[in-house]
Amino acid sequence: MKTEKVFFSDSVGAEARKEGLDVTQGRTLSGDVNLSADVVVVGSGAGGAVMAYELARAGLRVIVLEAGPYVPSSEFSEDFTESLERLYADHGSQTNKDGDLLVLQGACVGGSTVVNGCVSFRTPDFILRDWQEQFGLSALTPEEMEPYFRKVERNLSIEENAGHEIARHSQLALAGAKALGWSVKPFKRNIRDCALTGHCLSGCKTDRKQSMLVTYLPWAVAHGAKIFSDVTVTQVISRAGQARGVIAEAKDSSGTTVANIRVDAPIVVAAAGAVQTPLLLLRSDLANGSDQVGRNFACHPSMYVGARYPEPVYAWRGALLGVYIDEFLPPEKGGFILEAGGLGAVEMTLITEPGSGEAFLDYMEDAKYYSGLVTLIHDHNVGRIGWDGDNKRVDYQLADVDFDSMLRAIKAAAQVHFAAGAEEVFVPSTKPLRIRSVEEIDQVLSELSNAPQVLRMVSYHPQGTCRMGSDPDRSVVAEHGESHDISGLYVADASLLPTSIIVNPQVTVYALASRIADQLIARREQYLGNASKGSGESG
Amino acid sequence: MTSNEPTALLQAMTRRRFLRWLLYSAAAASTCGVVAFAWMKRSPLDQVAVPVGQQSLSAAEYHLFRRAAAVLLPTEGRVFAPLAQIPVLENIDSMLALLAPAVRDELSIGLALFDHGALVSGWHGKRFVDLNNAQALDYFDRWATGNTIQRTLATVVKKMVYVAYWRDANTWPAIEFDGPVSDRWGLASLGNAPLPTDQEKRS
Repeated sequence: MKTEKVFFSDSVGAEARKEGLDVTQGRTLSGDVNLSADVVVVGSGAGGAVMAYELARAGLRVIVLEAGPYVPSSEFSEDFTESLERLYADHGSQTNKDGDLLVLQGACVGGSTVVNGCVSFRTPDFILRDWQEQFGLSALTPEEMEPYFRKVERNLSIEENAGHEIARHSQLALAGAKALGWSVKPFKRNIRDCALTGHCLSGCKTDRKQSMLVTYLPWAVAHGAKIFSDVTVTQVISRAGQARGVIAEAKDSSGTTVANIRVDAPIVVAAAGAVQTPLLLLRSDLANGSDQVGRNFACHPSMYVGARYPEPVYAWRGALLGVYIDEFLPPEKGGFILEAGGLGAVEMTLITEPGSGEAFLDYMEDAKYYSGLVTLIHDHNVGRIGWDGDNKRVDYQLADVDFDSMLRAIKAAAQVHFAAGAEEVFVPSTKPLRIRSVEEIDQVLSELSNAPQVLRMVSYHPQGTCRMGSDPDRSVVAEHGESHDISGLYVADASLLPTSIIVNPQVTVYALASRIADQLIARREQYLGNASKGSGESG
Repeated sequence: MTSNEPTALLQAMTRRRFLRWLLYSAAAASTCGVVAFAWMKRSPLDQVAVPVGQQSLSAAEYHLFRRAAAVLLPTEGRVFAPLAQIPVLENIDSMLALLAPAVRDELSIGLALFDHGALVSGWHGKRFVDLNNAQALDYFDRWATGNTIQRTLATVVKKMVYVAYWRDANTWPAIEFDGPVSDRWGLASLGNAPLPTDQEKRS
């Protein structure tokens, strides 16, 4: 048995590295490795990175375990297919059981924040109100969350897109929405001096995107946190209702286990994302007195509604995401938004069914004339994450009410396209369907039914599988992020969200994690004793 | 939408569904006679060697994707990079090699089903790999509007072929796709963000 001593540096006077990140790559470990810390954080994405930084800054000894590899941004290829295979969960092939919903999550140090589109929304107030009324989250008022939103927006350089960041595809959406009299706004994004490459989903090669890779993770390391990549946590350990640490495996690039790791820590933060966190808790047979772990999966199933314009658009050029149409954001008006976004050559082959052979090549020959709108709906929490033997299982089928929302979103997107001058709209279905005028929209969409393999859907926002709530019988964790069942076990990722929030969730996760960190720090004596008090930075 | 979606779609095909479909197929085939079925499922391509060094593709799968690519990407006489100059089969092979074993196993069954389905679906009496161009295109189009399994398989095969072709940088000039730009533009890295300076006092 080998025991590794992890030296935690003093956080006072900390400085972050100018570039890159100090990471212990699991593939370099061997044998049995025992570690100890105050806190072990599982996952290095939006929730895990914020927790690691805030807790390390408060003087706690923090270890972060990330299942994915550490890929420095200098190695990002700006090649989407290569990036999928290297940076995403299951090499970009994670899907639901029916195979008609691709569930995209980052699987690298920094998690999904490395490969997202930088879109930054606060949680809508009406969503917070729903959470208060339906789940007893009485403290999560807009007023309570305001300083946390403000803090992460400041830390991540979140600003509204300037004029030069509204690419041609987004200018068309803007024009279409304005012609219809619909509300349309520039996105806010977490980016500094955007270089307009359009390659956000492959990672930002020049570190303009303020992902966790270049913000909270190096800041956490500056305050003494230790990060391990290529380490898959297989079990949370508990004793007498108290978290005690985790068991994990370090893997090489082929997926072969090269080291068995144990981290002893009285505080465990599960922040592996809304698919992996419930899988970990289910495998650990922990924190599931409510039988809600893995249930209530929602995911914002989205589609890319493309259209052909008479003039070239070059949808791959410029900032990836420029404006959004929020005319239908309130649930009583539809509960969906439309986001103007770009796409590349490979993605263009996948968004619709243009027919086979010559028909398909005719379609691709016009690639530079295409533009598109991404639909995001307020889906219901009807899915479930679980195990099928040793394989994970994502059960998710569109509820009929959500299918209706999808159709309304496609219709609205088609209306925007035609109002902006599009010549035809491509229906995101497996059938070869095109709409050539506003008058045709309803008739063409009537050919769609709510069945597997009808719509071409992607989820970028899995959520809801360890929901927060005041009632231990209906929720997994309390409002402050701690398990109802296991003291010292916290959840800090999109698993927390009791309902889907319609908008991109990264800022919601950052803000909730910041708040949970504060709550945890206020309770740290409970886990660590009096010795912990007063250490670390205090302002 | 992404490049690996096609392979991901195979998770749709649970063994139960396959068994049920195979049962129907076998029942239909029995109407033609077991002997005839056994004779028809052979293809002259079964005797044709495939290049060595495939990581994941079986010989039958190699022939299937080769035939599918030829039918789906008739690039001759058009602006596109000639199909023969793009390593479509090699790209498909490396994409399949990344799949989890359980998914890869189901994909094998699905591809065999797609190939042999032409025996009874459309009453072609021969496998997909032996259909002429018009028959093969018709086969794709009918399966694209067929039952769930048919839609899944037609979509999987198409998408794998499309992605394997269009992921190659040599195909991009024809559609004016720019590909990677940061190095070409000489963009400098901004590096890590500095530590926040306006840190709020802890309670």
